[in-house]
Amino acid sequence: MREIVAVVYREYLIQTTSLMWIFFELAVPLLYLLMFGVAFDRALGQGLMVENQSLGYNSFFLAGVLAMTCFGNALNQSYGFFVDRDNGILYEFLTYPMRRSEFLLGKVLFQCGMTVLQSVLTVGFSVLLLGVSVPWSAALFIVITMIAGTAGWFFFLSIFAFTIKRNDIYNTVINVIYFLLMFLSSVFYPLDRVPGWLRSLSLLNPLTWHTDLLRFETVGVGTLSDVMLEAGAFVVFSVLAFWLAVRKLQQTG
Amino acid sequence: MQTTAAIEVNNLVKVYTRKNQPPVRAVDGLSFTVQRGEIFGLLGPNGAGKTTTIKILTTLLAPTEGTARVSGCDVVRDPLGVRKQICVVVQENALELHLSVRNNFRVFGRFHGLSAHEIQLRMGRICELFSLTEFLNAKGMDLSGGLKRRVQVAKTFLIDKPVVFLDEATTGMDSINKRATIQAIKEETRKGRTIVLTTHILDEAEVLCDRVAIMNHGKLITLGSIHEVKGAGLRLLSLTLTVREATPSLLETIRSFQPVSVEIRNSVIEVIMRDEEETLRLLAAARKQKGFLHFEITSASLEDVFLQLIDHQTGSN
Repeated sequence: MREIVAVVYREYLIQTTSLMWIFFELAVPLLYLLMFGVAFDRALGQGLMVENQSLGYNSFFLAGVLAMTCFGNALNQSYGFFVDRDNGILYEFLTYPMRRSEFLLGKVLFQCGMTVLQSVLTVGFSVLLLGVSVPWSAALFIVITMIAGTAGWFFFLSIFAFTIKRNDIYNTVINVIYFLLMFLSSVFYPLDRVPGWLRSLSLLNPLTWHTDLLRFETVGVGTLSDVMLEAGAFVVFSVLAFWLAVRKLQQTG
Repeated sequence: MQTTAAIEVNNLVKVYTRKNQPPVRAVDGLSFTVQRGEIFGLLGPNGAGKTTTIKILTTLLAPTEGTARVSGCDVVRDPLGVRKQICVVVQENALELHLSVRNNFRVFGRFHGLSAHEIQLRMGRICELFSLTEFLNAKGMDLSGGLKRRVQVAKTFLIDKPVVFLDEATTGMDSINKRATIQAIKEETRKGRTIVLTTHILDEAEVLCDRVAIMNHGKLITLGSIHEVKGAGLRLLSLTLTVREATPSLLETIRSFQPVSVEIRNSVIEVIMRDEEETLRLLAAARKQKGFLHFEITSASLEDVFLQLIDHQTGSN
């Protein structure tokens, strides 16, 4: 545990050297919701019919923004490996008295703290300013899902960060992956009216599983049995990603 | 099981394989032992396999074959056990560039289990030893290359791990800091710490090391104390002649004795010879030449022996 706390302490010191970064990190999901959500909400007028439920686009999109927040935070944190590698400090870290898994867990734990702050702000903003109705009883579940999402995506992206040695190639690869994951998912639109092939692919996408779970928690879309299945699949995805990321980190030297 | 050896390396092999390229045996059957409290130098030209060996010993790389133990812990079976016993200055400059020197020390101390109070206490002593007090609030990114390296080395003396690895630790330091670093290394071994260093500055190894291993092409060429290595079948001597002028006839005389090397610096000629008798005969011949002023015979430096050993091995390969 001491080792994980040391990693969190290190991340805290580094991230708090730039208050501007923290401000933008916290503001991005709100901007997404404000610019994209509000525009679509107005454009669609009557709102959406999702699984026989009528929803404003802001309500529908809130889960998508939260899911993207997790992915974005995980991406930022995984990019830190390249900075650490360029500074040479990554190799020194790997000689410190800690397990590779503790290093990864410490890195993501700090970022999870940021995610929780962002989700509180984003949900609060949606409820207070955009009129989205989120049940208080769901707050704890939303926080847990956000933490699990950030961790799962961080482990997934870490596999690429440890495999790809150049950050320009990493950026390109991850941009393509991010694009595919976002648009082959339920982040922006409900999947019940998209073409069959797109729906099938989207249902295999961990971003869909995570978004659906958040959507169930925030606005009650979906059935408990379906989202439990998706939650289970996301946990399996995260555990596998963690195992692979640790293996990849063990081979880094 | 407690052993007297701090490090035991047995038939270590590391092969790098890359697509469409022949495999490279960076370390090829390396065996040596480092005793507790010893300063051990791993020397060799670029690409000799020194850094690969250090990376294996510090658990950054897994060996292809063979075994290595640090403080009794196997580097493959118990990497965490090894990491609990060591601290490392890696070859790359390794510093948190966005953090101050003070916070660099704090982070390093935390990772190694020191409390905030202990870090504060030790930081004062270390900063004094490495003349870093005035830079405590400077950010890593604002330091010169030599200063960054100094902070990196100083960090390792903040903690009390029994085995210290220094991979080209003094690279980029000016001579004052280099001396301070060498002094600190010596002091630490008096406390019983084992130090393994790689360097290409052989004078440094000569001053510091109790024993050295010379590597080339991943193989061990020779191993022993500086004295033993210098006499490793080569018995090189350095004859320094001071003359009024390095005349062609004097140089011809010198070359007729087939020296290992001849270096001329104005009126000083340094000749490296293979054995004592030949050296004395050359000296006698040189003294008969006009303009002869002064001579000095010393055992050849580690660098001369090193170059000769590398030449010898490359030739036999």
